[in-house]
Amino acid sequence: MKYGLALLALVWSIAPDSALRAAEVPGPVSVNPNLSVIARAPAFTLHDTLGNAVQLSDYQGRVVLLAFIFTTCPGVCPLISQQMSVLQTGLKQEGFFGSKANLLSVTVDPKTDTAAVLAEYARTYGADAAGWRFLRESPEKTKPVLKAYDEWTKLLPKGEIDHPARVYLIDQKGNIREIYSLAFFNETQALIDMRKLLGEAAP
Amino acid sequence: MKSAHGKIGLQIALVLALTAAFPAVQLTAETCLSPYIKGLKAPEKIMYLWTLPAAANSGPDYLAVIDVNLASASYGKILKKIHVGSSGNEAHHMGFSDDRTKIWAASLNSNRLFIFDVSDPMQPKLMKTIDNVAKTTGLSGPHTPYAIPGRILVSMASGPDGTGPGGIAEFTNDGEFVASHKTANHPYETVIKPEFNRMITSSWFPQKTFMSAPDKWDPKEWSNPNTMLVWDLKARTVIQTLSGDPINLAARWMLKPGAKYGYNISTAGNSIWMFRMEDDGKFSYRKAADTGAGCGPADLRQSPDDKYLYLTCFQGSEVQAWDISDPDNIKLHDTIQGVVQPNMMHVTFDGHRLYFTNSAISTIDYSPRYSMQLIQIGPDGRMKLDPNFKIDFAKAPDGPARPHDMLLN
Repeated sequence: MKYGLALLALVWSIAPDSALRAAEVPGPVSVNPNLSVIARAPAFTLHDTLGNAVQLSDYQGRVVLLAFIFTTCPGVCPLISQQMSVLQTGLKQEGFFGSKANLLSVTVDPKTDTAAVLAEYARTYGADAAGWRFLRESPEKTKPVLKAYDEWTKLLPKGEIDHPARVYLIDQKGNIREIYSLAFFNETQALIDMRKLLGEAAP
Repeated sequence: MKSAHGKIGLQIALVLALTAAFPAVQLTAETCLSPYIKGLKAPEKIMYLWTLPAAANSGPDYLAVIDVNLASASYGKILKKIHVGSSGNEAHHMGFSDDRTKIWAASLNSNRLFIFDVSDPMQPKLMKTIDNVAKTTGLSGPHTPYAIPGRILVSMASGPDGTGPGGIAEFTNDGEFVASHKTANHPYETVIKPEFNRMITSSWFPQKTFMSAPDKWDPKEWSNPNTMLVWDLKARTVIQTLSGDPINLAARWMLKPGAKYGYNISTAGNSIWMFRMEDDGKFSYRKAADTGAGCGPADLRQSPDDKYLYLTCFQGSEVQAWDISDPDNIKLHDTIQGVVQPNMMHVTFDGHRLYFTNSAISTIDYSPRYSMQLIQIGPDGRMKLDPNFKIDFAKAPDGPARPHDMLLN
């Protein structure tokens, strides 16, 4: 346990700074991303860990990064949450966090991920509720939201959950403008993408 | 709560440590597919084969569903055919969606795209036909569907009337048009290396040309069939044009995370070319080997360990294995000869089996002995034709058919 937390602290202490340095040197990221309108982002109503109803339409006029995760995920979910933590730091530094750009993490496993479990998970990643909320609903009410985002889930033999592992970037008008693969998510690129959307002319 | 915190913290720490040690590519597709596709990590049970009747307009094109489960009583048999309801499409290449629940099947001639639902891998269903892609996209001659997250990129050979330069058409997984990205050549195949934000597309001919008999091909109708385009993937812009031998069809980027090089074939040059991202970010492009006169390279596949390439000689009726363990000095390693007109290949996730078909396009095929066969690949990369697996499409009960591209589940 001690070792695990120490390792976590080590990764944590390195990651945000290195990501910000990377932002200054574009490298493999694209400084002028093509962010065509892909589709209308399906509307949803879910609840945050305090029980407050959260609708996608609440974020009209702001840019949203929407990730589908589950807290017992042994694969890429912890990594994406760690990368979103780095992104949170970047958005704060640019003055976008909360007021102009928000992060949402939706659990695909609400049965296991109770509000308390999600809240603890959010704390572990240093999520600041001012701009990064973790959302859930009952399994029955979660299902249509997952379906709308083509985010099917499949129970694997060892009890793990298989799912498409995508992250959605939604613009101020509620359009999906980018879809990222969790496996290749680059938080520096996501920051550039969000910055570009925020630079677009107001509707 | 304290113990929950500790448990999650430990779990995260271990995963992050493991992820750092074993990069993301583990989570992604098997060899020769888009890296964004959910990978198959077990022996294949079912094959989907995109097929067209041998005689023009003699029936609808179809997806043949074939049992490739060694333990099955119907191993090596066609279980069913899913007809697409139209003929003359010229069934050609296919691609999975990123989540592996859909197959996009492209038709070279009719500009139709077919989407099959394979969410139940054993029960594929035709879920959508996109008609008149040329009108929607301003492009024609759909060749290779290639998955990116939530979307499909389709390389399109030409302008809307089947002539002139083409581009890349972008759709959602469900078939809604997103955008067209025009090029100065005739895109054939796509490879992406996500960690570098780079895409490379190869080139061939406009639709009107390749749907004609070769003796009617008019050089005035095409441009730059010897070019490979390097794209800033995120920007969807071409940042470099590489020039080599003509008709550079299949291209493969090495699979090792961070690998900066790959290879492609040139059909007219009878050659293999190597592209490499140099330290300044620009790509070099050079001939890596000659395949031998009369080969007519048609497809190129790679082993999962980046040690071997497999190449079909469509004209030379040969399958070649190349040892690429020394990337700058690749060597012919093994051959299987006497397999008439071999074209498309598909290497399994473990690199042990290579399925191949032997029809290219109805305008180009020179032998009616259509079949799908299997090559067993040893740990040393050497090949052996499997005598126990052959589907003879020349003698198909409902008429001869041309088998082309394959996918496995």
